[in-house]
Amino acid sequence: MKTLKISLVLIYLLSLSGISFSELASDKFANNKLPGNLIWQTNIDSAEWSSKDAVTGGIMRYSISSFPPTLRTVGPDSNNAFRSYLLDNQIPLVDIHPNTDVVIPLLATHWAYDKDGRTVHYKINPLAKWSDGTPVTADDFLFALELNRSKHIVAPWYNKHYSEQVLDVIKHDSHTISIVGATPKPKKDLHVFYSILPRAKHFHQLNSDWITHYNWEIEPNTGPYQVSKVKKGKSITFTRKKDWWATELPYLRNRFNVDTVILKVVRDPNTAFKYFKRGELDAFNLTLPKLWHDKAKGPMFDKGFIHKITYHNQIEQSAAGLFLNLDNELLADIRVRKAIASSLNFKQVIDVILRGDYQRLPTFHTGYGSYSNTSIQPIEFDLNNAIQLLQQAGWLQKDSHGIRSKGNQRLSFKISYGNKLYEPQVLLLAEEAKKSGIELIPYYLEATSFYKNVIEKKHDIAWLGWSTGLRPAYWQHFHSDNANKPQTNNITNLNNKAIDELINKYRKGTEESLRIKLAHEIEKSIAEQVVFIPSTMKSFTRAAYWRWLQLPEAHATKSSSQLFDPFNSRFGGLFWINGKIKFDSLASQKTGVGFKATTITNTQHQ
Amino acid sequence: MSLDSTKPWQRFKSLKRGYYSLLLLLTLIAISLSAELIFNSKALVVYYNGDYHFPVFSDVKEGTDFGLDYQYETNYRQLKKTWLNDPENFVLLPLVPYNATETDLSHSYPPTAPNVNHQHYLGTDTIGRDILVRLVYGFRIAILFALTLLLVEYIVGVLVGSLMGFLGGRFDLLFQRLIEIWSNIPFLYIVMIMSSLITPGFWSLVMIMALFGWMNMTWYMRTASYRESSRDYIKAAKAMGASNFRIIYKHIIPNTVSTIVTFIPFSVAAGISALTALDFLSFGLPAPTPSWGELLKQGVDNLEYPWIIISVVTSLSIVLLLVTFIGEAIREAFDPKHEVYYE
Repeated sequence: MKTLKISLVLIYLLSLSGISFSELASDKFANNKLPGNLIWQTNIDSAEWSSKDAVTGGIMRYSISSFPPTLRTVGPDSNNAFRSYLLDNQIPLVDIHPNTDVVIPLLATHWAYDKDGRTVHYKINPLAKWSDGTPVTADDFLFALELNRSKHIVAPWYNKHYSEQVLDVIKHDSHTISIVGATPKPKKDLHVFYSILPRAKHFHQLNSDWITHYNWEIEPNTGPYQVSKVKKGKSITFTRKKDWWATELPYLRNRFNVDTVILKVVRDPNTAFKYFKRGELDAFNLTLPKLWHDKAKGPMFDKGFIHKITYHNQIEQSAAGLFLNLDNELLADIRVRKAIASSLNFKQVIDVILRGDYQRLPTFHTGYGSYSNTSIQPIEFDLNNAIQLLQQAGWLQKDSHGIRSKGNQRLSFKISYGNKLYEPQVLLLAEEAKKSGIELIPYYLEATSFYKNVIEKKHDIAWLGWSTGLRPAYWQHFHSDNANKPQTNNITNLNNKAIDELINKYRKGTEESLRIKLAHEIEKSIAEQVVFIPSTMKSFTRAAYWRWLQLPEAHATKSSSQLFDPFNSRFGGLFWINGKIKFDSLASQKTGVGFKATTITNTQHQ
Repeated sequence: MSLDSTKPWQRFKSLKRGYYSLLLLLTLIAISLSAELIFNSKALVVYYNGDYHFPVFSDVKEGTDFGLDYQYETNYRQLKKTWLNDPENFVLLPLVPYNATETDLSHSYPPTAPNVNHQHYLGTDTIGRDILVRLVYGFRIAILFALTLLLVEYIVGVLVGSLMGFLGGRFDLLFQRLIEIWSNIPFLYIVMIMSSLITPGFWSLVMIMALFGWMNMTWYMRTASYRESSRDYIKAAKAMGASNFRIIYKHIIPNTVSTIVTFIPFSVAAGISALTALDFLSFGLPAPTPSWGELLKQGVDNLEYPWIIISVVTSLSIVLLLVTFIGEAIREAFDPKHEVYYE
């Protein structure tokens, strides 16, 4: 389940994603000359995933659960759910093809890899324009680096990342730049780890007033839409640019079709769903089983006004589950850890609470393509096995509640969680675990205190899910460098020499095949330690939408985490509104004449 | 005014609505206090191989104790089914054979509608726990919470209030200002902040709420004892050398008891509502504590399963109505107008 998205966790995760490596990179390219013999690549022949039938026009209405505290995308309060709507309208230089995973050009037209293994050269598309009509040039990238390094933005993580990871951005001419990263990486990874979005230099005045001045300023962007109306506390409207520079560009054409996107603030999800059913919102994400099976019912569905769709995707799975803290002396015993894993009835959770829609997550890094070790299976629910293990570990007495003890010690742990969504699952697992004599006390903490509690490693067992990245990240989660220290992501405090060594090799490896082999080995060793008990995953996205919304024939892409995302540069904006159908639908809603009930299941990428 | 305490009671008894409400409420409390005997997944009596077992009163009995193949707590409902045609062994289950935290997932996806055959008389909640059982255990917690809170608040409130009225002077002034400031601190924010830092338990919640709830009583007690302290019998007691505390305990409080008693039912109602409200907002007692507020929240979020919301709203209304009827009757019973005649 990918629901726990504590943004702080994300920030932290990113902050540990590489080694620092300082070198004055700009010395590399004396006089800002490009090295000779570069092989420029421009992959414009890959299959496109939008539909040629798409027509422009119409209004798309969504709900968001809270109004953003600022329109800045960096600095205090900017790390909120709304930010992605703004950032998705800043087109990256290149992106990864959502179906074939090859690199495709967006803001850049060409790119070339330097022989040092950590630098990529880009040619910026000369057509590219900011929303105010000013051309996008190399200076905007240089300025982006300056801004991200500036103290005035009050964003330490950005300051650090754009100094220690992205070492430099070099301008060769007005439309050619090089981005220098800290360490060599496989080619495709370079684009992801060492990327930078341009910022309109002519718009910003970087001084100590920056944060307050730009709180509610609408920053120029390069994407298809721009914020056009802000009703504070109520809604934010985006309007499609009339002459967007990239309308005819490969991979971006026939996309981003609706004229207007309205994001309406509806705090309560139940109320939001009622709005949707009344036709005041056009599409609604129905990932939660309760919504899909119980709430998405009624005349509007039966009469075919609202359609339902399930789309099976293939994306990196959030490492969600239980993290056992080895600092706890009872959990330090691997037999106890194994017994806990054997006492957790995830099958029941999946069958009953998740209605069989989800699957058991096999291991920490699942869905990372060839990097994932698919031979690993999680420990199955088996009470007899658990009881046997506990007896071997000397947990023989039982108290009046049936909980095991040894001397003065009681086999009792707190399961902390920071999201009420997990509560039914935690309660169900704890009830079952009692049978083997293990007491699991549900311990809910409000998200921020939960995060603090976990990152300071004060938990016994923590239930959470990490956000995903392009490649497995072992060092931050499992290396002893980060064990027994607050504010690091090794929340199990795993401290194992053999695993450390493998992780070191993995981090230094530049050969893809070697890294994959090492990833498999590390994953297996970690699974054997039973410090992480995987919970569940879903390999689909699903939604309900009014019948006037149209999707391409393939519906979405392999990488689509949502079907009706409006702006995302990889899989967003594929839908369009059929005005005639909308007109007919609204008319027949009055007369009560219905259409065919429709539920689509797309298993192309299952 | 008469000091004869039997008279108000006689009058209270004569007020039928209040009197029967009290009896009903006391019955409900008695049922909830003995809930383990009526609402429990453990059997009352198991007769196995010539021996009697009383699982409700004993430690956990494992399946192997009754010839089953598992080493964890016996599922007595299952055992009863197994022994249905066994002439030698038998199981006697409580009236409702479920406890407040167990999830019954044997029928269909929770929540399941009320069903007499499954013995879920009010249905189950969103993770399959019996609603009736949770209501009963939740009521026990709510009423005990309200009574404990009342006790703490009244002890502090009555004491401080009496002292303010009796001592007067600087003490009175100081506490007046203190209470004015203290009552301006927004209580709900404090509870929200506290419960984001710690997971509140029964006692910590009582203490937090008492910290902000003791002030109400002080004003009434201050006025009452101020009035009393100017009377002749207090002066007489002073003249005889009685200590301040003796005067307060022996003279002032007994003479102001009617003020205190009339407030009790309303404080109980307030206590129950407060706990329910906090649980509803998930700032109350931690899961899986059975709670009316948590059920109410589930009910509101799941209006398509009406049995949840109907059960909890009905129970809440009945209990609050009973308490209010009792309160009205008490107020009438203690009304001095019955005794003072104006000429």
